[in-house]
Amino acid sequence: MPGPTRIPRRTFLAAAAAAAALAALPRRVRAFSDDSKLVLAQVQHGGSWNPRPSALRRLGWELARRTSIETASAPVAVRLSDPGLHRWPWLYLAGAGPLPPFTDPERAALRRHLQYGGFLVVDSADGTEAGPFDASVRRELARLLPASPLAPVPREHVLNKTFYLLDRQGGRVLVKPWVEAQAIDGRLAVVYSQNDLGGAWARTELGDWEYPCTPGGEAQRETALRIGVNLAMYALCTDYKDDAVHLPFILRRRS
Amino acid sequence: MDGGYNAWRLTALTPLPAWAIALAALAAAGAVLLALRGLRSEPRRARRAALLALRALAAVLALFLLLEPAVELLQTARVRNRFAVLVDASRSMNFPVERDGEPRAAAAGAFLAGHRADLERLSDRVDLEWYTFGADVAPVDPAEASRGIPGRAGRTDLLGALDAIASGQSGSTRRLAGVLVVSDGADNAALSDGVGPEARAKARALGIPVNAIAVGRGAPKDLAVERVAVDEFAFVRNTVTVDVTLRARGFSDEEVRLVLRREGAVVASATVRLERGRDRYTVPLSFAPDETGTFVFTVAAPVFPGEAVVENNARSFVLRVIRDRVRVLLVAGRPSWDVRFLRGLLKQDPNVDLVSFFILRSNADDAGPQQDLSLIPFPVAEIFGEQLRTFDAVVFVNFAYAPYRGLEIERFLPALREYVRGGGALAMVGGEQSFGDGRYGETALADVLPVAPIDGSSMAEGEVAPRLTAEGKRHPVTSLAPGDAANEGAWRGLPPITAVNLTRALAAGSGASVLLEAPAVLVEGRPAPLVAVREVGEGRTLAVATDATWRWGFLAAESGQGNRAYLRFWNQALRWLVRDPGLAPLQVEPDAPAVEPGAPVGIAVTSRRPDFGPAAGDRVAAELVDDDGRSVARGEAAAGEDGVARVALVAPGPGAYKIVAHGPDGATATGAVAVRGSGPEDADAAPRPELLSALSEATGGAFSALPGGKLPELKLANPEVVEIGRRKSMPVWDRWWYLAALASVLAGEWVLRRRWGYW
Repeated sequence: MPGPTRIPRRTFLAAAAAAAALAALPRRVRAFSDDSKLVLAQVQHGGSWNPRPSALRRLGWELARRTSIETASAPVAVRLSDPGLHRWPWLYLAGAGPLPPFTDPERAALRRHLQYGGFLVVDSADGTEAGPFDASVRRELARLLPASPLAPVPREHVLNKTFYLLDRQGGRVLVKPWVEAQAIDGRLAVVYSQNDLGGAWARTELGDWEYPCTPGGEAQRETALRIGVNLAMYALCTDYKDDAVHLPFILRRRS
Repeated sequence: MDGGYNAWRLTALTPLPAWAIALAALAAAGAVLLALRGLRSEPRRARRAALLALRALAAVLALFLLLEPAVELLQTARVRNRFAVLVDASRSMNFPVERDGEPRAAAAGAFLAGHRADLERLSDRVDLEWYTFGADVAPVDPAEASRGIPGRAGRTDLLGALDAIASGQSGSTRRLAGVLVVSDGADNAALSDGVGPEARAKARALGIPVNAIAVGRGAPKDLAVERVAVDEFAFVRNTVTVDVTLRARGFSDEEVRLVLRREGAVVASATVRLERGRDRYTVPLSFAPDETGTFVFTVAAPVFPGEAVVENNARSFVLRVIRDRVRVLLVAGRPSWDVRFLRGLLKQDPNVDLVSFFILRSNADDAGPQQDLSLIPFPVAEIFGEQLRTFDAVVFVNFAYAPYRGLEIERFLPALREYVRGGGALAMVGGEQSFGDGRYGETALADVLPVAPIDGSSMAEGEVAPRLTAEGKRHPVTSLAPGDAANEGAWRGLPPITAVNLTRALAAGSGASVLLEAPAVLVEGRPAPLVAVREVGEGRTLAVATDATWRWGFLAAESGQGNRAYLRFWNQALRWLVRDPGLAPLQVEPDAPAVEPGAPVGIAVTSRRPDFGPAAGDRVAAELVDDDGRSVARGEAAAGEDGVARVALVAPGPGAYKIVAHGPDGATATGAVAVRGSGPEDADAAPRPELLSALSEATGGAFSALPGGKLPELKLANPEVVEIGRRKSMPVWDRWWYLAALASVLAGEWVLRRRWGYW
């Protein structure tokens, strides 16, 4: 496995340098800036925070290929304690092995981020039912939003129809046939998958998938990519697909 | 009795507490029981009875001595109580006592004159007091009452009057022995629905007999709009139903046409056929108000010959017609944070009915098989064609018309332009597919947009701190906080935006104003507009030439400011777009929607400057305008520190009046007020003798009715006996023979027991 911090840190520095240049002087470009696009930001925590370094880049590429969402050229790594966390409303927190507890300022910053409309995808790369990441991340999420315990997302939830009509789960493994979520005022703020979505998204520079998906193979990988698309769509459109205008079309296709 | 004492009673002088007396009584009973037990084997009844009697007598004598009984002599006196004559002085007493008869007040006066001597004879037992009553109670001279008191009071509160007299509110502290009520019984306060269980209990709690003389028999011929039931506000273009209760007495088989008018114009009508023996009719009148505002509506029935009251044939009410939920069409060219937060804001607003369309996939995207997707076709023809005019506002967020081959959105843009000119609202929000980037400069929308898009340009990138223009400092859309300094401070504290669509400000005279500009981005040497507004035709447009307003909420929240500025900006923008009446600089509101005849109409005129600060010191005028459009009363006042000026105007008569307020810059605002044609006293001309009869019956009073009735034998409560000053106790226990009797009885028992062989 490659070193966990190398590529994203370089990417982050490049993005920061670009942002600094932008801040210096407004300029005109043909392609519009990353500030207007969906930036996939990955939380850099004290544990093994980047077990699938190529995953988010691939998800961004798939989003751009499949949907009208414009994604930033590269994901960024963010620390919860750093100022500017709110520049990235979409956060991805992955891990393999135990997740060290958040400090109080980190927890407060993440809680405020989510309460004002941010979205957090949590992805366990452990690949087991009750691995060390699972135990520690459940503890942290319970402290993060104590009034909103993790609960399985029902199949009828709008998350399963924001772009793709989904009726199964995907990932590198299938530990749980559902994802879990924490809601704030009826809106999903945290979505947690134990199926190692990042493992299914990860792809080498040469174009090879890094990990096989078991037991469902490539169909399971496609579902994992579709879940990633739906998660991005949910972050940007929330319950748009629950609007009455969509209902007859969705019912017809699901019947 | 000697010494002025006129009463006596037995009492006990013992200093022993009650429990000691009770113990002594138990001991005495025990002694008797012991004797009874010891005599069970005595065969001779006489002996048994004698011994038992002696023991019982001894026990009673012992208790008697312990109790120390005495006779208490008292000096008491009887106090004269009050008796009140209550004469009805409400306006309904001016109605005839019977059809074509004299006024009820005259009949009551004649009755009191005829029986004044009888009433004065009560003075032997009670002090007689005379009062008139209506809404309040007031003393009256008996001679004036006997001449007949013209009805003036606007209400009749019989129970309130009785309560005031009984509780001494009239000034007297002595007890009331009874009352005589002379009234038509037409109560319109607590007894308006008759003497129910609650009213009956209240009347009984007074503790006095209510004698009553009912004045009036038979309801006069009268048609009245008794009640109008309608909500305080209605939604424009939605059907409103007004339930009118019509009361008709003395009619048979006539047809009555009820008409509902709004400021003179008929909006609904219905015909009712009256039936003999039926008094009340409920008639629904439905209509759909076609404009927002506050209006006076009047329900009127025709006046028939011979009616007792003509003023109650019409009734006015004020109805506030408000906009139904604001219907907003949101079209987004692609999902983005800008539209995500804007849609969230609109979706959470309970006053907004939001229909949104996001372009989730373009022709170039490869999403997979259609049946796996939740996507729907973009119903362009439907929403931009037949449905367009059902929306109050259309919002384009980073939406391009061109890329969708086959949809031909461009052909609907002229209709959208006409929709705006005809009174609609359009907001264009920036992004890389918006304004010039989306080539809107060459479309029909360029005729109505508040800025000129520069076609073929691209967004300017980089962090830009926006700056308020002179117009922006005063405009409600860019008013984040009250006061110039606070507002500019609020804008300075917001996170910078990151991209600007390049547009040009329109020339003066176009009706457009740039409110916020990007000083660091120059277009032809001038700062690029960021937020601009325009009044165009009957409609309004808004341009927000950036896709980064979401940063004013989500990014601002990180620094502890919360997202109030973002919510306020968009809420104000939407309210301005749809012409929310609450944003008008001049507002007028009457203190009450309806006033009694002759009462002044209190009017508050609120004047605000364009920056929404109070226009303290400004002269404003307010006038009442009648149904024919004539100004019937006018007044002026200066606004106070809070921007509110108060004017009181008196309407010349009953009816519906529009209130028109005039501000200093020619601004006007309108409201409405109803001056009632009839108060509660005139609403129903019928006497209610049965109410007085029930009240008399409930309190044990006597009852009679005019015309024709005599003064019944009046019922009075027993005069109260009041103890005064002196009392004297005379012991009766401290006589030597009581002790001798006790000793003799005990000795006798002892002797007999020895003789008959006991012990």
